Amino acid sequence: MAAVTLKNVVKRFGVFEIVHGADIDVEDGEFVVFVGPSGCGKSTLLRMIAGLEDISGGEIAIGGKVVNDVEPADRGIAMVFQSYALYPHMSVEQNLSFGLRMNGNPKADTERRVKRAAEILRIAELMKRRPRQLSGGQRQRVAIGRAIVREPQVFLFDEPLSNLDAELRVQMRVEISRLHKELGVTMIYVTHDQTEAMTLADRIVVLNAGNIEQIGAPLDLYDDPANRFVAGFVGSPKMNFLAAQVVGNDGSATVVELANHGGARLRKSLSGAPPAVGAEVVLGVRPEHFFEAGEGDCDIAVKADVAEHLGSVSYIYANAGPEELIIEREASRQRATGDHMVVSIKAGRSLLFDKSGARIR
Amino acid sequence: MRYQNATAYRFLAPYLLIFSIFWLWPIISSFLISFQATRTVPWRFAPTFNWGRLIGDPAFFNALKNTLLILVIQVPVMITLAIVMAVLLNSPLLKARGLFRFAFFAPVVVGEVAYSAVFRLMFNLDYGIINKLLNSVGLPRIDWFSNVTPAMAVIMIAVTWRWAGYNAIILLAGLQSIPQDVYEAATLDRVSKLKQFFYITLPLLKPIIVFCAVLSIIGTMQLFTEPFLITERGGPGGGTETLGLLLYRQGFRSLNFGYASAIAYTMAGLAIAISLVQLWLTREPK
Ligand SMILES: Nc1ncnc2c1ncn2[C@@H]1O[C@H](COP(=O)(O)OP(=O)(O)OP(=O)(O)O)[C@@H](O)[C@H]1O
Ligand SMILES: [Mg+2]
Repeated sequence: MAAVTLKNVVKRFGVFEIVHGADIDVEDGEFVVFVGPSGCGKSTLLRMIAGLEDISGGEIAIGGKVVNDVEPADRGIAMVFQSYALYPHMSVEQNLSFGLRMNGNPKADTERRVKRAAEILRIAELMKRRPRQLSGGQRQRVAIGRAIVREPQVFLFDEPLSNLDAELRVQMRVEISRLHKELGVTMIYVTHDQTEAMTLADRIVVLNAGNIEQIGAPLDLYDDPANRFVAGFVGSPKMNFLAAQVVGNDGSATVVELANHGGARLRKSLSGAPPAVGAEVVLGVRPEHFFEAGEGDCDIAVKADVAEHLGSVSYIYANAGPEELIIEREASRQRATGDHMVVSIKAGRSLLFDKSGARIR
Repeated sequence: MRYQNATAYRFLAPYLLIFSIFWLWPIISSFLISFQATRTVPWRFAPTFNWGRLIGDPAFFNALKNTLLILVIQVPVMITLAIVMAVLLNSPLLKARGLFRFAFFAPVVVGEVAYSAVFRLMFNLDYGIINKLLNSVGLPRIDWFSNVTPAMAVIMIAVTWRWAGYNAIILLAGLQSIPQDVYEAATLDRVSKLKQFFYITLPLLKPIIVFCAVLSIIGTMQLFTEPFLITERGGPGGGTETLGLLLYRQGFRSLNFGYASAIAYTMAGLAIAISLVQLWLTREPK
C-alpha cells in the first residue's frame, strides 16, 4: 500500500524538455489514469515512476519515500507493458515465477504466489504454454499476472489494452477494474483512450505536450473542464466548438453572438468577471447537449451532411459555414443527408472559453 | 494450371540447365568417380579401391584428426568470442559503433593471400611481433612453424581472427531483434545484467548461435587456405594437414580424382552429420 507523489517532475532528453514540471498526488489505493494524445509524455512519466527513465528534475516519492535514486526493483512497483514484454522462451508458469526464482524466493512461497495470480486471472490451464501459443488477451493476463506475483504496492500499466480488439478491450477493462477492487492497491494507468480513462479512473490526469491540463474525477472533467483542451479530450464524440463574439454584458450575464449561425445570440450567466464586449470567444457544446428547436435558449439551423445511425443514438454531422458540428439524437433514425434541421443550445449546457482556450466561468 | 506450370518451367529452363550442368552433374559425377580406380587408363569401376584405401590410410586419419581437433577447439572459442563481441557492439555505452562494426567485419573482406602473409610475418620466429611481445614480457620466443602444437595454435588463431567478427555481426542482428522491454521487465524483476544475459539473451539467441555454429562447422571441415598458406602445406611434416589439404594433394598434385572424390564425400558427410547432431542437441524442447 503506498501513495505516489510527483513534485515538479521534469524530464529532458538532451535539450528537449518532454515533461515540464508535473505535480501529481496519487493516494494510497487510488486508481489514477494518465490520459492525453500520442507523444504527450504519459509513458515517460510512468517510466520515471518505475525507474526505467532518469528523473531530470523534481522528486518522486512512493509510500512517503523519495525514490529518485532507488533501483526500479526496490520501488515496490510492478509494471505491465503495452507489448506485454513476456519472456518468449519461458512457459507461462516460468514467466510468472522468473523474478522470484532469480531472487531466491522460497519455492513454496513462489508456488503459492503463482497459483494465486493464476486463479485471480483465470489462466491456470495455460501454465505450460509459451507466450506465442497464447491469444492477445491471454498474453495480457499473463503480463498482469507477472505483476501480481511481485505483490507490489503500486501497479503501473502502460496502455495495456491497446493491442486488443474492441470486444476484448471492454472485457479486460472490466477485469482490471475488478482486480483493483480485489487487490485494493494503488494503480496508475496510462492510455490515450478517453473511454478507458472515464470508465476505470478514480481520478484522471489529463496531459498535453508535457503539461498537466487538469486533474480530477472523470465526471468532474466532463462537467467542468478547466480549459478547451480538456473539454475537447474528454467525452466522445468530441465537444463542438462554435466561434462567438461578446456583444454585451448585463449584470452577471454575458451575451454572445454565434458568428457562423446568422447572428444567433445566447445569454449566459457567469460567476466570474465577464469578458470585454467585442472579445472573440468560443462556445463549447457537447453533441448530446443539442436540444429540439425551442427547448433551449438559442436556436440554430443546420444542414445534415452525414447521418450515422448506431441504433440507440444517431450522430448527425452538420455543416454551418466553416464549422462542422456533431449532433447526437436519440430518435432521429429517419434523418438523412441534406436534411435541414433546427437545434437548440441551453446556456446551462454550454461552456465558454476565451481565445487562448481558458475557461470563462 | 498445368499450362501455367509448363510456362514457369520454360522460364526456369535456362537456370535449370546451367544448374544441372555445373552443380548437379559434378556432385553426381564425383560420387561416381569415387567408386572408380582413376590411376589406370582407362578408369575402371572398383567400388572398394578408394573407399578401402581411405579406411586404412594413415594420411587420411592424420588429416581427419587435425581437422576435428581444430573444429572442436576453434569453433566453440570463436562462437564464444563472437557472442562477447556482439554484446559489446550492442551496448548503448559504445561510441563509434559503425566503425567497430566495420572493423569486426573487415577480416572477411581482406584477401586470403594477404591475410595469410601477414599472419606468417606476425608469427615469424625472429622478427614477428608476437615473439617480440612475448620477449618483452619476459617469455621465451616460440618457434611457431616448426612444432606441431604452436602451428595448430596459429591456424586456430588465424581462423578465429578471420571469422569471429563475421559471426559477431550475424549475432548482433539477433541481439537487436530481442525487444528492449523484455530486459526492462527483467530489471523490474530484480534480475541482474549478468543473469539477464544467461537467462534471457542466450536462450533467445540460441537459434542464431546454432546457425553460426553450423556455418562454422561446415567452413572448418573444408579448412584449406590457412594450413596451405600460413603453415606451408600442412607443415610441419603434415602436422597441420587438414582434409581440405589432403583432398587438394590427391586431386591436384597426384591427379588421383577417385580418391579425392572419396575424401570430398567424407568431408561433406561429416559436416552434415556433425551439424545434424548439433541441431538435434539444441532442438527446442516441445
Ligand atoms: N529516448 C527518447 N529520446 C528522445 N525523445 C524521446 C525518448 N523517449 C520519448 N521521447 C519523446 O518524448 C515525448 C513523449 O514520449 P512518450 O513515449 O512519453 O509519449 P506518450 O504520451 O506515451 O505517447 P504514446 O501515446 O504514443 O505512447 C515524445 O515526443 C517522444 O518523441
Ligand atoms: Mg506511450
